[in-house]
Amino acid sequence: MHSFARWILVLIGLTLALSASAAKDPNEDAIKARRAVMTLQSWYAGPLFQMAKGAMEYDAEMAGIYAAHLNTMANVEGGAMWPEGTDNGAYAGKTRALPELWTTWPEAGKKAEALSEAAAALAEVAGDGLDALRSKIGAVGKACKGCHDDFRAEKM
Amino acid sequence: MEGYRREAVWDPVTRLWHWLLAASVITGWVLGEFRTFSIMQWHIYLGYLTGALLLFRYAWGWAGPAPVRHRTLLASLHDMPAYVRQVGRRRPSGVAGHNPIGALSVIAMVLALTAQVVTGLFSEDDALFFSGPLASEVSSDTVVTMTAYHHLFAKVVLGLVAFHVAAILFYLVWKRENLVTPMLNGRKWVRDRTVNSE
Repeated sequence: MHSFARWILVLIGLTLALSASAAKDPNEDAIKARRAVMTLQSWYAGPLFQMAKGAMEYDAEMAGIYAAHLNTMANVEGGAMWPEGTDNGAYAGKTRALPELWTTWPEAGKKAEALSEAAAALAEVAGDGLDALRSKIGAVGKACKGCHDDFRAEKM
Repeated sequence: MEGYRREAVWDPVTRLWHWLLAASVITGWVLGEFRTFSIMQWHIYLGYLTGALLLFRYAWGWAGPAPVRHRTLLASLHDMPAYVRQVGRRRPSGVAGHNPIGALSVIAMVLALTAQVVTGLFSEDDALFFSGPLASEVSSDTVVTMTAYHHLFAKVVLGLVAFHVAAILFYLVWKRENLVTPMLNGRKWVRDRTVNSE
């Protein structure tokens, strides 16, 4: 092939590759969204756990509000945040979600259901005193752990 | 037993230390593996206890009696090839302390447990909202890495303990040498090198 023609082809190839990588990948937005949901779940759950542990003084009003928000965050419609093919193999460095989350579906859905139930039970009583908070917080931790154990990689 | 003498080998402090460590590690391991919100604090306490016992062991390796000294353990590693060649023979080893494989096993367990305690200090469980006392001192990336290693070393510790128990059974059944009793009463059948037992 003529060397000039070869250079043109290389240039075309590079342009295509660059424009492909620059294109917005909707899956990345989905990954960001679900991580944001979990960040907020953690944000609202954190003080509740600290109160239950005795590491933070129990505050009935704050406990009630935070548990209500945790309950909201545990029930946001998140199905579209988990498109197929967005596991930690395809999106290394962006997600810790293991492929098993999709291959063993609906197991992960049941885990989400468990969190939803635990958060609802906690929200009902979190403002009623430390003992009430403590009686329901363990189930929330168990629900978080259940999903992390099975469907989250140790590292990014 | 001809060619063997019963000698005081394991001192009382070492024996007490051994069983405390066994209890602390097994309990800590079980509570970690089956952790829940209400028992997680106990896993952390047992980590502190294990850490304290390990620190003691490092000091005891300098100050303790000959069979438990670091120097003795390291020196016995030199006899490894000779010991390994004859370990399958069906007679008690009669070593007055750790045999070379045992010494290596002790070193491996102490180092693995040390790694386990140190990584635990920087680990977190972000489902149960518990973290080691030093996790807040380092970056969240470091915490994730430390936590991953903490989970990995838990498997290593389990493997080493399983090997330890399997070795005890091998000595008991195959070599007809009870190594548990000496760790209880301190007295061990030792080969009398003044008598030619070969």
